[in-house]
Amino acid sequence: MALVPLSYNLRSLVVRWSATSLTVLGIGATVAVLSGVLALQQGFETLFTESGRDDIVVFLRQGATNEGDSVFTLERAQILMKTLPELETPPGEAPLVSAEIYLAVRRNRIRGGETNVPIRGVQMRSFDIYGDGVRLIEGRRFGLGADEVIVGRKLVDRIQDCQVGRTLWLNTTPFKVVGVFASDGPFQSEIWGDRDRLAEALERPVYNRVVARLKPGIDLVDLAARMESDTQVPSKVMTERQYLSSQTQALSFVLRGLGLFLAVVMGVAAVFTATNTMLAALASRTYEIGILLSLGYRPYAIFLSFLFEAFVLGIAGGAVGCLLALPLNGVDTGAMNFQTFTEVAFAFRVTPEVMVTAVSFAMILGLVGGTWPALRAASLRPTEAMRRT
Amino acid sequence: MVPLRLVTKNLAKHKLRFALTVLSLAIAIFLLCVLRSLVVALNAGVAAAASNRVIVQSKVSLFVYLPQSYGPKLALVDGVESIVRWNWFGGYYQEPSNFFAQFATDGKQLFEVYDELEIVDGSAEDFLRDRKACLLGQDTALKYGKKVGDTFPIIGTIFARLDGEPWDFQIAGIYRSSKATLDSNTLFFHYEFLEKSLEAGATVGPSGVGIFVLKLAPGADPVAVMSEVDAMFENGPQVVQATTEAEFQAQFVSMVGNVPMFVSSIGGGVMLAILLAALNTMLMSAREQTRDVGVLKALGFTDGSVFGILLAQGLVLCGTGGVIGILLAKVSEPGMTRMLSSMFPGYQVTDGTVMEAAGATLAIGLLSGIAPALRARSLSVIDALRAVR
Repeated sequence: MALVPLSYNLRSLVVRWSATSLTVLGIGATVAVLSGVLALQQGFETLFTESGRDDIVVFLRQGATNEGDSVFTLERAQILMKTLPELETPPGEAPLVSAEIYLAVRRNRIRGGETNVPIRGVQMRSFDIYGDGVRLIEGRRFGLGADEVIVGRKLVDRIQDCQVGRTLWLNTTPFKVVGVFASDGPFQSEIWGDRDRLAEALERPVYNRVVARLKPGIDLVDLAARMESDTQVPSKVMTERQYLSSQTQALSFVLRGLGLFLAVVMGVAAVFTATNTMLAALASRTYEIGILLSLGYRPYAIFLSFLFEAFVLGIAGGAVGCLLALPLNGVDTGAMNFQTFTEVAFAFRVTPEVMVTAVSFAMILGLVGGTWPALRAASLRPTEAMRRT
Repeated sequence: MVPLRLVTKNLAKHKLRFALTVLSLAIAIFLLCVLRSLVVALNAGVAAAASNRVIVQSKVSLFVYLPQSYGPKLALVDGVESIVRWNWFGGYYQEPSNFFAQFATDGKQLFEVYDELEIVDGSAEDFLRDRKACLLGQDTALKYGKKVGDTFPIIGTIFARLDGEPWDFQIAGIYRSSKATLDSNTLFFHYEFLEKSLEAGATVGPSGVGIFVLKLAPGADPVAVMSEVDAMFENGPQVVQATTEAEFQAQFVSMVGNVPMFVSSIGGGVMLAILLAALNTMLMSAREQTRDVGVLKALGFTDGSVFGILLAQGLVLCGTGGVIGILLAKVSEPGMTRMLSSMFPGYQVTDGTVMEAAGATLAIGLLSGIAPALRARSLSVIDALRAVR
């Protein structure tokens, strides 16, 4: 059961430092590209899923897949807001429920080009519903019934006229930007204003969704089932978290698909490189293998030894790839959410999940690339190996 | 003088290594071609845009409907020959993931304005005659196995039918587009059908028109038409923006976000990985050829021709890989076009892409060949002959 000492492989890698470093960097570049794509996907997905709250419920029109598609007439929204017994009602106050309008508006980026920015018309009650999910960080809130808006903080540096003091034209009405707000979720890429003023300016006398807080102990599944077949206002009910998660599917699908495609294609190239390096290592060490064999090491030990060396190349490549991708963590970027066709700003997130995937991928590359050379090494005969120069 | 036979013989000495390196190069160049073609696809609509078409859309949002009454007014503008209405329907087939574009439009005018639209099966007359008929793009027809005469049930998200049933469109014709301004995925149906369904209360949803596309009479000045249209609705109720077709297409490219940047970053990673792989191979074979270099020099080959021999090896190695990669990209073009037709209609490996890929190949060849070539040039005969392998 004698295995070739691991230090033999590690030293060999050091001796052949140029080939080792080129291979490691090559695998590293492959892994870094994959990690970058995955970090983008993670950033997008966490923005949506982790910010959604379970104690806020969202009502959409039956058949709608997002709030852009969903429409409630004023009467239907009123019915929802006034007649549901499940809504949380603080003592002496109105229920915690609000109808919102939502529209993706065309805006120019500061750096040029056009994009779609979501605008949300809310009521003052909305702030009570979202609580600290929406925090004012500059200026003040828009006034009730005033032609004023507040902007999410991610818009300030990206979108024209989204700075406090500037005027934002919507159709024929000028709105004044009076504040900036922060949020952990996609709200931070939105413009918020008084619902009724926005509805009038945009000539949209309808609501897009209703949000509310439920009384403690209400079973959402029951409510959803009842509302689905409600005769007056058939609607789709879900928690905010469920709603936001459903919004990531299209882009996540594209990014995961792209990641997989790149992983397969670049992975094959990386495997070939690893094989080449290991074959060269084998060629220059044939004599040493002859010595090892004649010292009594069994072929499987030689096989494992070479496979280990390739494995180390893979792990090192994975580590380098992660290091290359790590500076991306927290870098702001924007991407199109295909479901609402709006741009959301978020940061790359090199999560532990991304790193584990990347390093495992690199280890597989090393192992696959090393198998054939290791088999070749193990099949050498001692006399033959030592005779070769 | 560089003896080419020596170059090929040297490369052929390690057939497996040569093959693996060439294959990884081929894969990388293939990948670069694919990435580049995605960017080309994105901009294809802009490049192919017709100069005699003007798009009238809401200045506020892609999702704002223009009043019906704008149509007759636009028809009176001097230089306008024909008008077609487009209304985004936003439905899906069976599952939300089976999502593709459907538009309610004016059948007769559609054929007048879009001469790139060719009927490949069925007939335009059948489409125009039947109120519930639709015209289906051949890529979508192929994807879902639909033929002329079939019923295509589409579930509306914006225009959900109140009876909960899908919209049953009768396929009267299959079309394909000969230009990138139209894709071959869309379902067109009659605007009147949507209008009547709304009036009859069979469906709920917004009334109005998404965009008007104006076809200009020969010799009409688009700039004059656009400024007249803009001025006409300056004071609402919905402010419009008239743009050329090219600007309209560019607007969508811009909205999709920074795809070219994203693609170039990935491309950069691929280039780096492959450069390292090629360099690795070249350094390995150069090291093994050290003694050969000594022999060549002793025989009277100049430093220059030794330099040339090694550089040429790098170039031949990378050139072979590059040519295979470009061929792969070309051969896979029809398949990729079909696969990506819903996300990237107009995927095409252009001559420009091929030239760029060839340039990248040449650059990698030179970069990977130059280090070993320089080393070989400066080696003295004695050192080279004395070299231990």
